[in-house]
This record gives sequence, C-alpha cells and structure tokens, in this order.
Amino acid sequence: MSLETLKPYFPWITLGALVLLVGALNPSFLNPASLVSVVADIVPLFIMALGMTFAIYIGGIDLSVQQVANLVTVVATVYLAQFGVFVAVICVLAGFAIGAVSGWVTTRQFVPSFVATLAMGFIALSGARFLSGERALSMNAEARDASFGWMFGTTAGVPHELVIAGILLALAWFLQTRTTFGRALKAVGAGELAAVSSGLNVDRIKILAFALSGTFAAIAGLMFSVKLSGGDANLANGFLILAIVAVLVGGTPLTGGVGGVINTLVGTLIVVVIRTAMVYLEVDATMQQMIFGIILIVAIAMTIDRSKMRIVK
Amino acid sequence: MAITETSGKTRVSAALGREALVKWAPLLVLLVLCAFFALMEPRFLSTRNFARILIAASPALMVAIGVTFIILMGSIDLSMEGTVSVCAVTFAFCFLWLGGTLASWAWLAIPLAMLVGAALGFINGLVHVKLKIPSFMASLAMGFVGTGLAMVMTGGDRIRIEDELYRGLLTERALGFPLMVYVAGLFLLVAWFIQTRTTLGRNFYAVGGGEDLATASGLNVNRVRIMGFTLAGVFFSVGALLAVGRIGIAETATGNNFMFLSITAVVVGGTALWGGIGGVWNTLVGVLIVFVIGNGMVVIGLPGYVQDAVLGILVILAVILSTDRRSISFVK
Repeated sequence: MSLETLKPYFPWITLGALVLLVGALNPSFLNPASLVSVVADIVPLFIMALGMTFAIYIGGIDLSVQQVANLVTVVATVYLAQFGVFVAVICVLAGFAIGAVSGWVTTRQFVPSFVATLAMGFIALSGARFLSGERALSMNAEARDASFGWMFGTTAGVPHELVIAGILLALAWFLQTRTTFGRALKAVGAGELAAVSSGLNVDRIKILAFALSGTFAAIAGLMFSVKLSGGDANLANGFLILAIVAVLVGGTPLTGGVGGVINTLVGTLIVVVIRTAMVYLEVDATMQQMIFGIILIVAIAMTIDRSKMRIVK
Repeated sequence: MAITETSGKTRVSAALGREALVKWAPLLVLLVLCAFFALMEPRFLSTRNFARILIAASPALMVAIGVTFIILMGSIDLSMEGTVSVCAVTFAFCFLWLGGTLASWAWLAIPLAMLVGAALGFINGLVHVKLKIPSFMASLAMGFVGTGLAMVMTGGDRIRIEDELYRGLLTERALGFPLMVYVAGLFLLVAWFIQTRTTLGRNFYAVGGGEDLATASGLNVNRVRIMGFTLAGVFFSVGALLAVGRIGIAETATGNNFMFLSITAVVVGGTALWGGIGGVWNTLVGVLIVFVIGNGMVVIGLPGYVQDAVLGILVILAVILSTDRRSISFVK
C-alpha cells in the first residue's frame, strides 16, 4: 500500500491518533458526557466550515464567512422583536444574497474569489456596523426563548445543537452526493475547462456554491447570536481561520475536486480535539492562533494537488 | 464567457482606449474625489487637512508599496497584519531595552525591526515557493502566525514609546507636514529606484508579465519570488515603524486593517492583480484615493463605517476594470 492510496484516510487516522493521545493525557476527556458538550460547543464553527467546503470544493475560497456571520448576529438581534422566528428567514436570505453576489463577481466579472469575497466581507462588515450603531447589542431574553429556545436544550441526552448540525450535514451530504448539482460541483472542482466543454453551466454552479457558503455562514451566525444572546459587528471574529483549517485538515484540498462535507466533519473534530488538548496541556490561549496558523500551512502542503497547478502564483 | 469577434481595427482602437483609460483612471478618480469633497466642504482643501491625510496614509503607503512588488509578480501577500504587528512589538521591546531614546543605542532597534520584517518575508516566500502553496493562502496563514506571535510577545499589553526624539516623526513639522511624511516619501523614492533601476525590479515585471517566458529566458523565478517577499517584509516593517511613531503605542492591534487597506490601495491605483502592469507610483495614487475617501467622508459628516463598504465596491470595480476579459477563460 503506497502513501497515495492511504492519503484519503489521513484525516481519520489523525483524528483517531489525536483522540487517543488526548485521552491518554487526560482520561476524563473520553467521558461521553464531556465529549458531547465539547462537540456541541463547536456546532456554529462546523456549520460555517460546512458552507466553506462548497467554495473550496470548486477550487475557490470564501473569506467573507466571518463577516457574514457578524452581520447576521446583528440582523438577528435587531429584528428579533419585530419578526420573531421569521428573522431566521431574513438572515438566511441575507447570507444567500451576499454569497450569490460574491459568486457572480468571481465568475462573471473574473475577480479572483479571494479578492471578491474579501471585499464582500467588508461590505457586510460595514452593514453590520451600520445596523448595530457600533455597539454590542443584546437580545430580549423572552423573545429569544420564545422564537429560538428550541435551538438549545437536550432531548434524551442529545443536545439540540447536535441535531441541527446533523440535519444540515445530511442535507449538505445529500446535495453533494445524490444530486446532479453535487456531481456538477465535483466536475467543476476536478477540471473547470473540461466541465465547460461538457456543456455544464459552470457559472451557475459556481454562483450557487458561493451562495451556499454564505447561507451556511448565516445559519452559523444565527446560532451564535442566539447562543450568546446578542449581536455585535465583531462577534464571530477568529472563526475564519478555524473554518479554513477545518476544511483543509479534513482533506478537501485548496485545489478542489476531492474531499467533501464528511471530510469537513472530521476536520472540525480534529480542530476541536486540538483545542481541547491545548487546554489540557495548558498551552496559553494567546498561542492558539499561532499554532493553528502553522497547522494550516502543514495541512495545505500535505493535501494540495500540485499536478493541477502548472504555475503556483 | 462572451467571446465576440471584432474586426482588427476596432480591436486595436478599443485596446488603446482601454489602456489609456486604465492608465489614467486612478489619477482622474483622485482628482474628481478631491474636487467633490472640496465643493462639499471647503475646509477639505486646507494644508492642515492635507497633513492629516498624509499622516494617516504614510504607514499604509509603506505597506502598500511592499505588496505592490508581490502583486507585480502576479502573486499576493496577505501577511502584512501579522508582520506589521510583530515588527512594531519587536521594535518597541528593543527600543525600551536599549535605553528608550533615539539619543542612545536604542536606534539599533530600527534596523533590527527591519531585519525581523525581512526574516518574516523570507519565511513567507520560502513557504510559498518551496512547499508550492498558492501565495494568498501561504501568506494568509503566515499572517495568522504573525498576529499570534505578536500576541504571545505582548501578552495582550500595549507598549508605549514616549521618546520625544522618536515621536518627532509626528510632532516635528517642516513646511506644514510632519517628518514621517518625508520619511515615507524617501522610501517611496527608494522603492521607485528598486522598481526601475535594479535587476530585481525588472525581474518582478518579467515574472508578472509571463512566468513561462521568464523561466525560458533563464531567470531563477523562485529566487526572484523569495527576494520579492523578503523586500515586501522590509517595507512592512517600515510601515510598522511609522505606525508606532504616529500613535506612540505598539501592540498586537497595530497591524489591524492594513491588509484590506493596502490591497485595495494597490488595486485601485491601477496595478493589475494578474501581474506585470503598474508600479509604486500607481500605489501612491491608490493610497491617496483610499485615504481621501476616508478623510473626505469624515469631513462632510458621514460615519466612518461607510468607508469599508465604499472600499469593498471600489476594489471589485478596479479589478473588473483592469481585467482584460479576452485573455482569461476562468478564475478560481
């Protein structure tokens, strides 16, 4: 068995090894109840990474997810009293729209996705700062519990966040593996020119992929906002790097075409375990970003498909 | 993709029109913006206000010049926020450790900070070239590492630089403008010299204009790239030094906002993201556009957060304008 055939299993092996390692360091980590709470904590990040997977799967990137989530926390907080549970619809539509515009700008206007999404992110940030009046807002506790109380709490020991994450994962997995759209995504990621030649409407597929990324980022922002019971233009800061790391560590390379949403699940779990390990090993919180930056470089270097890039710019 | 066949003649004139437009549009935009804000609020045209714009623009100009060289090669560098923070913090620590005033050995902290900037840029270039990671991702990751490193070094504290000689960068004025503006001008000339009068400068254009051709002509493209990132690191550190001189504080947040500001400035100035076109003078115009917008909106009484949205739209428009649609089939 060569290294190449083993490659798809790397994320799983890494996850298993890390869990055993952390478990050996601190046996209480393997206690099911603590595992569940650790995982439930990370659900917003997982949802964001799930959306990002679509953008990376087609060989692009979405740097706006963090700002979209920021905007949504503000939108949700400001309009909760007025629209109740339907504020979720506004949030999701906002995320979809921002993603779709990013997609349109990259595909139809030939602006590289990292610039287009970076710029769209700043437009979203501007909107968040405008709506929030540059203050940290908080939700009315009663209105929050009435509309979104169902998001948290447990049924038969299973936190509702995990159920939501599971449903979204199933949805994303269905989209990716059981629909023509999913097959088209893979075709675009594997070779865009070939996809164009075979008559696929590549532009529409790419725009949809970015729109999905925005939509999932919006859902993540909504959960985040309900969880912290408030909104702020900086609330989700720090999530971008973790979302990118989760996707790439999971084995969806920056060049696209392989990997997918299940990989992102594994990648997110790896991120969680690493973060927990840092707490047990008493690694200073300030070092986390540095360590994840280095992990990011290693993950990209290991997963990227260099045969696809004749020139690395 | 709309590929339309046109006759040779119209294509040539269209190309000429496009070229002229792309070349002069940034300067035109700058002049129109100045005229607009001056009409809305005459105070905009005062020397005091221009000094304010230039003080704010000086650190960003240094950072933007650094990234100009990278964009000329067709790559991109997103590591500036981390690099600026690390350089600022390193400088502040050494400056205080060596005596805390320019009159003592503390001046050594200045070349040291530049050395740190060069080292970070060099590592950035190595990661990009040797591991074959696209530059936007390699530099973004390095930026995260840099910000984290600055955080570890300071532990979240702010370091004050109160030396009057060093703060003279801001407080000493000549002809109405503080010294830091002249320092930035000096480094702009240095950058211009590097761009036009050195082999390295010509090589940036060669790599950006066509990497295949550059390689075929025997150019060591990888070496040029690594040197480019190192040079960018040096300019980032100069930006950090000016930023510390302006505020008198070095902290992890010193580098905040530099990424989007400088990329926007370079692109809006007319340096093409595809490489090979543009240069440091374009970047000067671009930085001025960005800061005239920021200042003008405050002067006419608009809230600061509108600036982010305006810049976001501007950068997209600028990339669209500078893109020759006939020469590319798709982008990632």
